[in-house]
Amino acid sequence: MSERTHNRVMLALAILLAGIYLFPLYWMYITALKSGSEMFATPPSFWPAAPRWNTFAEVWQSRQMGRFLWNSLVIAIGATTLIAVLGVGCAYVLARYRNVWVDIGLFLVLMLQVLPASLMVTPIFVGFSQLGVLDYPRLAVVVAIAAKSMPFFVILVRATFMAVPQELEEAALVDGNSRIGAFVNIVLPLARNGILVSAILIFMQAFGEFVYSKSMIQGIELQPASVGLNSFMGPNTNEWNNIMAFATIYVTPILAVFVLLQRRIVSGLTSGALK
Amino acid sequence: MRRILSSIRDGHGFDILLVAFPLGFLFLMAGLPLIYNAVMSFQEVDMFSLGTFSRPFVGLKNYRDLFAQPETWPILYNTLVFVVGSIAGQFLIGFGLALFFWVNFPGASWLRGLFLVSWVMPGLVVGAVWNWILSGDFGVLNFLLRESGIISGNIFWRSDPQYSLYAVIIANIWLGTAFNMILLSVGLSAIPGDLYEAAELDGANAWQRFWTITLPMMRSSIGAIIALGLIFTLQQFDLFAAITSGGPNNSSNVTQYWAWELSFRQYDFAKGATISVIMIVFVMFASVVYVRSTRHEVRG
Repeated sequence: MSERTHNRVMLALAILLAGIYLFPLYWMYITALKSGSEMFATPPSFWPAAPRWNTFAEVWQSRQMGRFLWNSLVIAIGATTLIAVLGVGCAYVLARYRNVWVDIGLFLVLMLQVLPASLMVTPIFVGFSQLGVLDYPRLAVVVAIAAKSMPFFVILVRATFMAVPQELEEAALVDGNSRIGAFVNIVLPLARNGILVSAILIFMQAFGEFVYSKSMIQGIELQPASVGLNSFMGPNTNEWNNIMAFATIYVTPILAVFVLLQRRIVSGLTSGALK
Repeated sequence: MRRILSSIRDGHGFDILLVAFPLGFLFLMAGLPLIYNAVMSFQEVDMFSLGTFSRPFVGLKNYRDLFAQPETWPILYNTLVFVVGSIAGQFLIGFGLALFFWVNFPGASWLRGLFLVSWVMPGLVVGAVWNWILSGDFGVLNFLLRESGIISGNIFWRSDPQYSLYAVIIANIWLGTAFNMILLSVGLSAIPGDLYEAAELDGANAWQRFWTITLPMMRSSIGAIIALGLIFTLQQFDLFAAITSGGPNNSSNVTQYWAWELSFRQYDFAKGATISVIMIVFVMFASVVYVRSTRHEVRG
């Protein structure tokens, strides 16, 4: 009985803490539903008196969010595909062997993981403009994001491959499989979940990417939603309900995916980041 | 040729093939820019010489000019305040939460995971939300602080030079706390439980157990997390772009934002590259610390 009360008290406390922590998110949703005058009321209302659902449709129309989100999607899909195609093999090799070369490779990958995008964007921008890559700005951003995020992906997926017993692969080789056959038929299916979760994490990051897009994409018709949100927020704006509606439309799909896959994402993240 | 093909099918050629493309890609897209960056920091780069590789070398002139600028030292100091403030806040709150959720109760792990939404949200969205919360006249944070009697007048978080840097720090602490908490939870759950049972039998109280068991056992995790925190904090750009844009009058500017501003606002690519080189050397140092502190865990 006391065990049960203890659990209940702890759970109540935990929900309270989570509620405090997630308050900014709540505030975003609530502000998006407020009318222009209610937004600036003092004291502020913590529950909208008359929720205005129209705001979402209006902002979608007036800010042309369809185009922004489509660009975000193109960039995120491109970057995730490129990273997955290149990164999986690299992670596999780095997980399978233990020698000096693998240690050096791992060290280099870890070092590349830490380079801040806002510092790397200067040489990448100058180099890309000299090579003419900037004529295809979304492609340039995809390549830059891939170079930035691939190390993180490799570290996460490597942890997954470490958990695949090597005996299974060796058995397949003894049975006459080629290396390619054993990799595709045995190792990849066993590591599928980890690869998927890591790819989703990379996708989320790329979907919200800002520095490279802001610096390299000049034409508004090719910009992603992060840049769109940034240009929506002028220095003296007072359209906060519209801005929050923009942010809501942008972030809700990501949050939905995260809440659905939360357990897997958290365990995938923790297995790779520290171990 | 057949030897190569069969090695790819059955031998180490397969591994080399798998690893050559990604590492080659990384070298082209991260290694070369790194070198190019260092080269540019010794060159004179302007809008006219941007398209050519043959630019005049000027030695250390960019570095000398940079440190002769009046805003350089304040911005470096801001970076220090930002890094220390963010890491301290993220770590302490994250550690507190991790200790709380360490007590096992139904729903603990699910609720704990929910905190990570702050980490998966796009940085620009986090910045936009905090920009509105921290607003001077109508911000909800000022309202809550006023109602609880902590402040008497509104704080203009974004436009008051005394507070603008802290506005970004607050948002960054919120953003990073969850990540710290999750990683610290992993470290906590790796401590064997019988240590605590033994200490309890010996009559150690909760405070003593924390200082003599939890903290020493967590040493390598804490080292790794602080190094990671340093790396992530120095990568933070989106919040500056979304909340203060480094202003007013550089009072909330930090090196990683300033480098971008110099390159893409003032088109002074050489100066941008110069700051980048200085900061990258610094970040590399932090990452060596990080790699070293996770090393024995990497080797498992």
